[in-house]
Parts: sequence; structure tokens; C-alpha cells
Amino acid sequence: MILAKNLTKRFGDRTVVDHINFDIPQGQVVGFLGPNGAGKTTTMRLLTAYLPADEGQAELAGLNVFNQPLAVRRRLGYLPEDNPLWEDLELTEALHFAGRLRGLTDDASRAARVRAVVKSCGLRREIGTKVGELSKGFRQRLGLAAAIIHDPEILILDEPTSGLDPNQVLEVRDLIYELRTHKTVLISTHILPEVTATCDRVIIINAGKIVADGTPADLAGDMADKNRLHVELKGPKDDIRRALAGLPGASQIVADEIEGSFIVESAAGADLREGVFRLAAHNDWPILSLRQERLSLEEIFRALTQNP
Amino acid sequence: MECQISNPSPRGVFQAHAVKALAARTLRSYFESPTATVTLFVFYLLTGYLFAAPLFLVKIASLRGLIDFVPLLLAFLVPALTMGLLAEELKSGTFETLATLPLEDWDIVLGKYLGFAALHLVCIAGLIFYVLVLALCASPAGLDWGEMLGTLLGLALTGLAFGAIGIFTSSLGKNQVVAFVMAFLVCFVLFILGKTAGLLPGGLGSVVEYIGLDAHMDNLAKGVLDSRDLVYFASLVFTFLYLTVQRLQARRF
Ligand SMILES: Nc1ncnc2c1ncn2[C@@H]1O[C@H](COP(=O)(O)OP(=O)(O)OP(=O)(O)O)[C@@H](O)[C@H]1O
Ligand SMILES: [Mg+2]
Repeated sequence: MILAKNLTKRFGDRTVVDHINFDIPQGQVVGFLGPNGAGKTTTMRLLTAYLPADEGQAELAGLNVFNQPLAVRRRLGYLPEDNPLWEDLELTEALHFAGRLRGLTDDASRAARVRAVVKSCGLRREIGTKVGELSKGFRQRLGLAAAIIHDPEILILDEPTSGLDPNQVLEVRDLIYELRTHKTVLISTHILPEVTATCDRVIIINAGKIVADGTPADLAGDMADKNRLHVELKGPKDDIRRALAGLPGASQIVADEIEGSFIVESAAGADLREGVFRLAAHNDWPILSLRQERLSLEEIFRALTQNP
Repeated sequence: MECQISNPSPRGVFQAHAVKALAARTLRSYFESPTATVTLFVFYLLTGYLFAAPLFLVKIASLRGLIDFVPLLLAFLVPALTMGLLAEELKSGTFETLATLPLEDWDIVLGKYLGFAALHLVCIAGLIFYVLVLALCASPAGLDWGEMLGTLLGLALTGLAFGAIGIFTSSLGKNQVVAFVMAFLVCFVLFILGKTAGLLPGGLGSVVEYIGLDAHMDNLAKGVLDSRDLVYFASLVFTFLYLTVQRLQARRF
């Protein structure tokens, strides 16, 4: 649905987007991460044919972005960075205006769409308010509502939750989560828990290059140099420790004094959970907790994007 | 929920629905802000004075007083109407929203321009009131309708040309004041060139005369409808709208 092939953009002699490649299938929600100035906004501007590319190709819904920009944009809802809005319009007027520009010329069906997005974006209580007087959270919802007024197949959202308080972040996140059912979504953000919660896949870009691409779990697996399994069993500690050390693949057993559990370390990619279960069942030690330690997205992000 | 999108037009053809929506919004925002009120007030105050003074003082029933001065007034008022057309969208970032809709840059420029043109033509149409006054005061035989309508047409075309210049300078950056000053300067140069043409030697003089407003305006004000004058105004409008689109397509703001 969203395809980038060697996509490249230069400003002067600076390469801001550097031969990036990805293919996002229909229905996937992808988090697009990267430090400030990494090239996220520029990439999105290339994908929406706002900026011409210097090299490479992009396709949305199978259509070439640079040859058929209008056909592409008909299928696309785009929320630009900083959510620009027409401040002087009233909320529903702004939505009607967006609809008219999109070719929803029939008054009745446009009004129905406006009602639908007002409802789905939770804007009803702000009807009648001038856009310039909306709070930041409602502005963001309005931006989103305007971007989906034509019920697009593809959504590209540039930092839809920036500057919102934690409650609003959750609400806007839920909103995007509800939208995702039939849509392909590319969303840039600096709020990493949001990505872990909503995205099927993460693409991390640094200095114009893609440095990671995969599910958060895959990335954690790829990045970790060893596998750590937290095990808490009910039984004699020393016996447990000895038994865990005897598990095939276990390289080291560390006691976690605070939790009263053990950490079983093994080579990256190994999975000792089944072994632990058999061992517990065999010795009749009830499993109180069993947890595979994962690198958080924050740790992955920091490791990949901290420039020397 | 059925979602009806009007037939997508092929590339290169205007998206009429969007042009209309943009023009309507531009016109509405003129009237919802003090812009239209202040502009119309200044326009009719000054033209009213210019019209009435000779009529009562020297009993001359003509629009002559208007022809000399109204282009200068338009050189001032039209840039005030056009300075925000694109600069404001560039400043607030809504240009990116417009430019990523299924529209060509031509649709955006044309929609904005037509919104301005509508207000400008309403403004000029109001001058018909003066013509009617003249028709009542002067003996009907003494009134040259060709001159009257030619004058109004000339002023309408002058404003349309100035508007194209104004929308171009509005596309140059985010600053409306800069857009205003630059548009005023260009319009003023066109206004003044025609007056200096006589002072210049032969060949150069006739070139300057063609570029300046005066010669074309004078022809129209005499009631002479010459295609060369129409081509002059049409090419000004087209050239500056074209430059505006080129400017926007460069995406360097
Ligand atoms: N029009 C432009 N002209 C010159 N340089 C630009 C232009 N737009 C962006 N850049 C540069 O390109 C680089 C990437 O910018 P971009 O806005 O794509 O980053 P980003 O990943 O969206 O950052 P942020 O997280 O801060 O939004 C930046 O260094 C920026 O200065
Ligand atoms: Mg950005």
C-alpha cells in the first residue's frame, strides 16, 4: 500500500532522506520514529508528493506518487506536521470546507460525512467553536477529522499527538486505533509507548537512513545480545537454582534478591520457557511468575539513534 | 456510509469544485474580516469625492476625474486585498494541506484569484451608480455611453491585472507586509510608466508606452475597444498567475 524505493531527498548538498526502502502492506499501522531532524517529515512530504524526490520512487495504493499525485491523494488522508488549520472558520465549517475541496459536492452526503467524523473524533461538544479557540487536543482531533473526511484508505499522520497531555495522548491514540480497521496508517511520533501500544511495526530512521524495521518484539530480539528469563518458582531456593542451571542452553543464573526470583541467561534467540515449565511440573514447584525480558522501545531507539 | 466524490478530472483541467470552494471561502473571509468593509469604504469615499467635486464645481459630467486617479488608488487597495491570499497560507502551514489535496497548484491559485476578482468586480460595479447620476444630471444626448462603459471596463481590467501581481508577490514568502509593498511598487511602476513615455525618445518611448497602463486605459476610456489593449491586460493577468504557480511549485518558502 505504501512503498518507498530508494527514496532520496537532498536540500543543497545535504542528503536528508537517503535511499530509503520500505513496503507497508494494507491494514498495517506503522510507527515512524527518529530523532529530531532525522527526515521523518521530509519522507512524508515525499510520499504525499508535496516535495519532489531527487531519486527513487514511491507508490501508494499501487499508484506512482510522482506521476499520478492527484489519484494518489484521493486515496490519502494527510495530517501535516504542526496540524495547520484555518483558524477563522467554525469547526463544522472547517470540515465542510475540507469536504468541498475534496470533491464532496453533494450537500447531503457531505453533511453526513461531517456528522460521521464529528462523532468518531469526539468533536460534538465543540460544535460552534471557532478553530482558533479550540484547545490543543481538540485541534488535533479536528485535524484528524479533516484528514479522514473522505474516508481514505491510507493515512499519513505527522506527529498527531505532539504537545498533548497524557490523557489526550491516550484519547487520540484510541481514536487512531479505531480508525485502523480498514486503513493503512503511517504515523510519526516521539511518544514511544504510543508506538508499542498501537503499531504493528516500527520503522526507525536516523540521519535519513532506515536503521531498524520490524515489530517491536522483533527489534528487541535482534538487538539483545543475550536472552534473559525471569523465573519465580515456589520451592527450595537452592534446588531451584541448581535445576535451572542444569537447563540445556542456560549460561548463567542470577538471583534477583528484590523479587526473590532467578534470572536465567541464555544465548540471544533461545527460548527456555518450555524447559522451565517441564522442570517445574516435574519437581512440583508451582510457577509464580515467568517473564521474558525484552528491550524496551526506548532502549532500542537510543541504541540505534545516538550519534557518536 | 456512501461517500460521493465528484468525477476526478484528468490532469491539466481545473478541478472546478475546488476552485469554487476556494473562491467562495476567499470572498467570505473578506467580508468576515474588516478587510472588505474598510476597502470598500476607502474606495467609494475617494471615488465619490473625485466624481462629485468636478460635477458640482465645474459642472462637468464625466468620469474623467476617475480615470486619472483610480488606477493609483487600485495600486494601493488591490495589494491590500491580495497580500494575504497565499502568504497567510504559507505562514500558517495550511498551504501544505491545500497542496496535498487532489488539486493542482493552478486550482489553488485560480480559486484564490477568483475570490479576489469577485470582490474587485463588485467594487467596480458600484461605480455604475455614478454613471446613473450622470445620466440623470446631464442631458441624455450629452452622455457618451461608450466612454462610460469603456472607463469602467478599463478600471476593472486594471484591478484584475494588479490582483495577479498581488497574488504573485503574496506567493513569495510568509510576510504579508513585504507582499503588499512589492505589489504596490510593481503596480505603481505600471501606473507611472505611461506618464513618462512621452519624455523618452522614439523606440524606447513606444515600448514604455505599451508597458505602461495609461495608453491602454485611455483607449478604453475613449470607448475604443481594441484587441491590443485587451491582450495587454490578459497577458499581465496570465503572466503573473503563471509566475505564481511556478513559484508555488518550487516549494521553497
Ligand atoms: N525546506 C527545507 N530546506 C532545507 N532544509 C530542510 C528543509 N526542510 C527540512 N530540512 C532539513 O532536513 C532535515 C530533516 O528534517 P525533517 O523535518 O524531515 O526532520 P524530522 O525527522 O521530521 O524532525 P522532527 O522530529 O524535528 O520533526 C532537517 O535537518 C531540516 O533542517
Ligand atoms: Mg518532523
